Amino acid sequence: MAGRYLQATSILLGWCVLGAPVHAQVTDTTRADTVARPFVRGGVYDKPFLTRLGGRSVLGGYAEAQARYERVDGIREQLGFEARRFNLFANARVSDFVRLGAELEVEDGGREISLEFAAIDVRVHAAFTLRAGMLLSPIGRFNLAHDSPLNEFTDRPLVSTQLLGVALSEPGVGAFGQFRTSGAGRITYEAYATNGFHDGLILDSPDGTRVARGTDNCEDNNATPSFVGRLAWSAGPAWELGISAHVGPYNTYRVDGAPIDRARQVNIWALDAEGTFAGITASGEAAVVDVDVPESMRGVFATRQAGAFIDLVRPFGRGWVRTMPASAFALKARWDLVDFDRALTGDSRQQFSAGVNFRPTQDTALKLDFVRGRARDRFNNASDHAFALFSIATYF
Amino acid sequence: MRAVWVAALLVAVTACGALFTEATPDADLFDAPLDGLSATELGAFARGDAEFARPFSVREGLGPIFNDLSCAACHSGDGRGRPDNVLTRIGSPADGFLAPLGGPQIQSRAIPGASPEVVPMGVALSLRLPPPVFGVGLIEAVPEAALLALADSADTNRDGISGRPNWVVPADYVPGVASARRIGRFGRKGQTATLLEQTVEAYHQDMGITTEQRPNDNLHPDDPASAADGASDPEIPAATVAAVVAYLRMLAPPDPSAETPDVVRGRTLFSQAGCSACHVPTLTSGDAPIAALRGRAVTLYSDLLLHDMGPRLADLRPDGSATGTEWKTPPLWGLRLMSRFLNGQAFLLHDGRARSIAEAIEWHGGEADRARAHWLGLSPADQRALLAFVGSR
Repeated sequence: MAGRYLQATSILLGWCVLGAPVHAQVTDTTRADTVARPFVRGGVYDKPFLTRLGGRSVLGGYAEAQARYERVDGIREQLGFEARRFNLFANARVSDFVRLGAELEVEDGGREISLEFAAIDVRVHAAFTLRAGMLLSPIGRFNLAHDSPLNEFTDRPLVSTQLLGVALSEPGVGAFGQFRTSGAGRITYEAYATNGFHDGLILDSPDGTRVARGTDNCEDNNATPSFVGRLAWSAGPAWELGISAHVGPYNTYRVDGAPIDRARQVNIWALDAEGTFAGITASGEAAVVDVDVPESMRGVFATRQAGAFIDLVRPFGRGWVRTMPASAFALKARWDLVDFDRALTGDSRQQFSAGVNFRPTQDTALKLDFVRGRARDRFNNASDHAFALFSIATYF
Repeated sequence: MRAVWVAALLVAVTACGALFTEATPDADLFDAPLDGLSATELGAFARGDAEFARPFSVREGLGPIFNDLSCAACHSGDGRGRPDNVLTRIGSPADGFLAPLGGPQIQSRAIPGASPEVVPMGVALSLRLPPPVFGVGLIEAVPEAALLALADSADTNRDGISGRPNWVVPADYVPGVASARRIGRFGRKGQTATLLEQTVEAYHQDMGITTEQRPNDNLHPDDPASAADGASDPEIPAATVAAVVAYLRMLAPPDPSAETPDVVRGRTLFSQAGCSACHVPTLTSGDAPIAALRGRAVTLYSDLLLHDMGPRLADLRPDGSATGTEWKTPPLWGLRLMSRFLNGQAFLLHDGRARSIAEAIEWHGGEADRARAHWLGLSPADQRALLAFVGSR
């Protein structure tokens, strides 16, 4: 009797374990999306990403958290924490020729949310891909590759943040591509027409000329495009030299077709370089900004600004942490400078940063930075600052 | 061994302090608060400090015509300005400060769409370097009776010094009896009696920022319709003005440097030369809205009175009851730190023309002729001692 009971129980369990999936396949509700006639043609459940492109769209991103201790002239300005960035990437390979990339940036716990990048690429040839949308302006290399897990320092360079307004993105259309030269060498280019900057770089700025205040020109204020482009050359993967420019008018110089001012240009020129020598990766960028400031505002609004930075990074200790065989440390140093008004001795800021990083894998960075610098006001009075920074950033 | 560790720890802590920057002692700053302020007053001081430093953008109301972007942009470290941000005044009360021509002050900058003022032809100019703003609360708290006691407009004691107050009528928004005269204490000719008026007019004239007291934009006299800033008026609330006034009142003057034999001797020479007849070493504050201002020794080295300084310093522009040759005795406190906030340079006298204390003394004339002659007669060593004393204030 007991044997029969055990036999029946075994058959029942076997049916549950082995038979149930078979039954579930038969009733799989996800197959409903593939019906020949959608409820609404092109409606919410008849989208290509559901019906044709499944698996070609991917999500990713990166996150960054910081602990900051800042002192200025001996006074503690900050000892706190920041959920600095949580950026979402989306990418879709629509076809062999069409691709879409996007980045949605959420900063400071959601206080700032912006579509940093959302561009459609139509590839005609390796030497020519058409791009349109919200573009990352190719002004300097740092603006094109500034993700926190990639950047060895907690803070971005002064020339990038305070002069160029990285991340600098703007609506536009243009093309990019590359040409092979001898061996592993190549020349790459990006060239776009964009909305450019608006007159907020003067009108919204209480601190004098600030290009970053003239960004987000989503509805072109002067109906005149600007042009931005970068040309880069490298003889191999170890180094690259780039030159870039962003030119165009920033002010509203016509109202209803009537001229109210002349078109005033803001022109930015940048030079960037990266190379590895004796195990040390050196990278840097220099930029000059020329702004045609109305004559009546000169003296307090700068017509020429400049800045530069140099990073040196030396990896070491790969695999020293035995439980993390892909881990590595890096020593790093940076010098950076920004001069907000070339016509003055003051109105500038420069600093030196040094520190050590640890990467459990290449996609995650734990950064420890010490920053010491000096700012000078328009009277050339000095103000010293020092930061101790710790941050963690990772791709996901 | 323990001593070594303690020493190492001390060195590390000291080095760490230097590594993370070190604070300048309050006594060596122009923007330190007075001793004895309450926590509430210190909070108000911090709010006013931020407003004093706050620059204005065009969209926030700057202009349409203006001189600079913020209070701090003219007063370096809360000290004096320099010749490249000197203000230009035209006209006098008798001619309405030539208001139809853009007086009393020329605004040399303008927002896009507006025109900056230019100096009209054929008018007398008075260039005015922005003065230091520390210690002004104490200056405001000195009773009028104390100043009148120093006045000697008829030179009855025949010492050649005939200081007199600049009697001015405050603007109608200044609390008090309407049209009542008061002694002016602020401005190069003592043309303003209260910090409230000084602040409101600086916002209006220097930055083009409207307040509840002056709610209409300062427009270009020849081109009033050309442009207005886009901000609604008043561009700052009364609370902001009050915060800045409170901040100014609570700014402490810096301490003088330590006494040295030269400084001690210089003090005696300063008195013997007759300098202290106008540069009165100490006044005493009276009643004041802030307890820390009451009954304090005010070591400003000024009688806050007008003196005829002779033709070489004359600007020929009357102001209040001050004539074109009269200037208010400028306080000497803070001189030891002056160049520190001016990139190592010195700009003295009303327009910054003197590049050293000695040069400033040599520009003196009029009522100061005797003192100047005494200075010129001193031996080089005595001159050095006198300069050491003045430069130590």
